[in-house]
Amino acid sequence: MTRRAGTALALGVVVAFLVVPVAALLVEAPLGRLPSLLGTRVVRDAIWVTVRANLAANALVLGFGTPAAWLLATRRFPGRALVLTLCELPLVLPPAVAGIALLSAYAQGGLFGDALQRAGVVLPFGPWAVVLAVAFVASPFYLRQAVAAFEAVDGDLTDVARTLGASRTRTFWRVVLPLASGGLVAGWVLAFARGVGEFGATIIFAGNVQGRTTTLTLAVYQELDSNLDVAVAMGVLLVALSAGVLLSYKLLETWRSSTSTSRVSFAPSPSS
Amino acid sequence: MKRLLLAGAVVAVSLAAPSAASALNVYAATSLTNVMPEIRRDASYSFGGSHTLQLQIERGAPADLFLSAEPAEAQALYREGRCARPVTIATNKLVLIVRQGDPQHVGSVYGLRKGGLNLSIGNASVPVGEYTRRLLRRLRLTSVLSANSVSQQSNVGQVLSQVAFGGADAGFVYVTDARTQRDRIDSLSIPQWAQPAVRYQGCVVRRGGADTAGATSLLDAIRSSRGRGLLRRFGFGLPPRP
Repeated sequence: MTRRAGTALALGVVVAFLVVPVAALLVEAPLGRLPSLLGTRVVRDAIWVTVRANLAANALVLGFGTPAAWLLATRRFPGRALVLTLCELPLVLPPAVAGIALLSAYAQGGLFGDALQRAGVVLPFGPWAVVLAVAFVASPFYLRQAVAAFEAVDGDLTDVARTLGASRTRTFWRVVLPLASGGLVAGWVLAFARGVGEFGATIIFAGNVQGRTTTLTLAVYQELDSNLDVAVAMGVLLVALSAGVLLSYKLLETWRSSTSTSRVSFAPSPSS
Repeated sequence: MKRLLLAGAVVAVSLAAPSAASALNVYAATSLTNVMPEIRRDASYSFGGSHTLQLQIERGAPADLFLSAEPAEAQALYREGRCARPVTIATNKLVLIVRQGDPQHVGSVYGLRKGGLNLSIGNASVPVGEYTRRLLRRLRLTSVLSANSVSQQSNVGQVLSQVAFGGADAGFVYVTDARTQRDRIDSLSIPQWAQPAVRYQGCVVRRGGADTAGATSLLDAIRSSRGRGLLRRFGFGLPPRP
C-alpha cells in the first residue's frame, strides 16, 4: 500500500513537473488576442518558412535515412559500429556548435564552401541552409530508431517471403516495411519534433531573415526582444502543433494495434 | 507516390526561389529589431547577436551593411578588410528592470545589496553582460553577483522575459529593450556617471557583389535627421552630429 502511494506520488511529481510550465504558458498567453497575434506578418512568414523547410528536411531524412538504416540493420561489415557512432554524433553536439560545424563545411573558407561556390551552389544563409540545419540535427533520431526497427524484423518472415518467390524489393515493401513501420513512425515523430524546435544551428548557419530563414523558433527569439505577447502566442502555437503530432501518433498506434494483424508476433512452429 | 513527388517539386521550387529582387541585406544587432524597419522598410534584415553576425560575414554571408551593438565586432571586420571604416550610429544605456510594481522592493540598483534575490544578467561573452559587469565595477557593487543567485543569459531577450514572467526578480537590460515591456516590468534608472559607453557602430560590408551604394545610402539615412529622430523615439541615445 505504502509502495503504491510512493509510486503514485512519484508519478504526480513527474506529471506536475512536465505539465505545469506548459499550463502556465497557456495561462500567461493572451488567449483572446491569439488569432490577431498569430495573424501578424512575422508569424505568418515564420509558419510558412517552418512548414517549407521541415517538409523538405523530412523528405530528405526519410528518403536517405530509410535505405541507409536498412543497410546498417541487415549487413555486417567492418567499421559498421564506427559508422553508427558517427551518424549519432549530431545528437550530442550543442546546437550552436552544430551550426558552426555546418558553416565550417559549407561556407566560404570552409571544407567544401569554395568549391561549391565555384559550382554556383550557395548553401549557407538561405532557405536551403534551414533545411540542412534541420536535417542535420534531426536525422540521427530517425536513423537510430529505424535501425532498431529493421533489426527487430523477424528474419524468418523475410525468408518465408523469399522462398514463396517474392523478389527482394517486393519483400521489403510488403513484409519488412509493414513490420517495421511502428518503429519507423516513432523515429520520424521524434525527428520531426526535434526539427520543428531547431534553433541554434539554424540561426548560425542560415541567419535570421524574415520570410526566408526565420522559422517559428527564431521568430520567438526575436520577438522576446520586441513583442513578448507575439512570442508567447507562437509558443502556444508550437505547443499545440507538437501536441497534435504526438496525439495523432498515439491514436494511430492504438488504431493500428486494434485492427492490424501484421504486428502479431508469430509463434515459432513447434519443432516436433 | 506521384503526388509525393509533385509536392516535393513544389517545395524544392519554393526553396530555390530567389529572395525579393535583390533587396539590401542588413545584418543588425537584435536590439535594433524594432527601429530599423521604421527607418527602411524594404530592406532584408537578419537580426542576431553581433558576434554571430560577425562570424557569418567572415564566412561569406551576403551582407551589405553590418550594424553592431558594440564597436568590437565592426572594428574587427574593418581590420580584416571586410568592411569600410565603422561609424557610431547610436548609443544606449543600461537599466535595472524589476517585475511590475517591484514586489521585492528592490527600489534601486543599491537595493540589490540586501541579497537573496534572483538576478538575471547577460553572460560575459555577450555585449550586455560585459557592460553589466563594467557598470557594477564602477558602482562598486560587484558583490551583488555573489549576494544574489545569478542566472546568466545569452541575450537581452532572455533576461527580459525572465523578469517579465517572474523567473527573476531583477535584471540588467538596455533601456531600449525595457521600453518594449512596459506592461510587465518597471525600469529603475542607473546613475549616468556609472553608465558604460554603449555604442552601436555600422559599417558598409566589402565583398564581391555587395550593394555598396545601397548600404551607404541606408547608413546615411540612419544618421540623417529623420533617422536620428526615429532612434530617439525608440529610446536610443545619439552620437554628436557628424
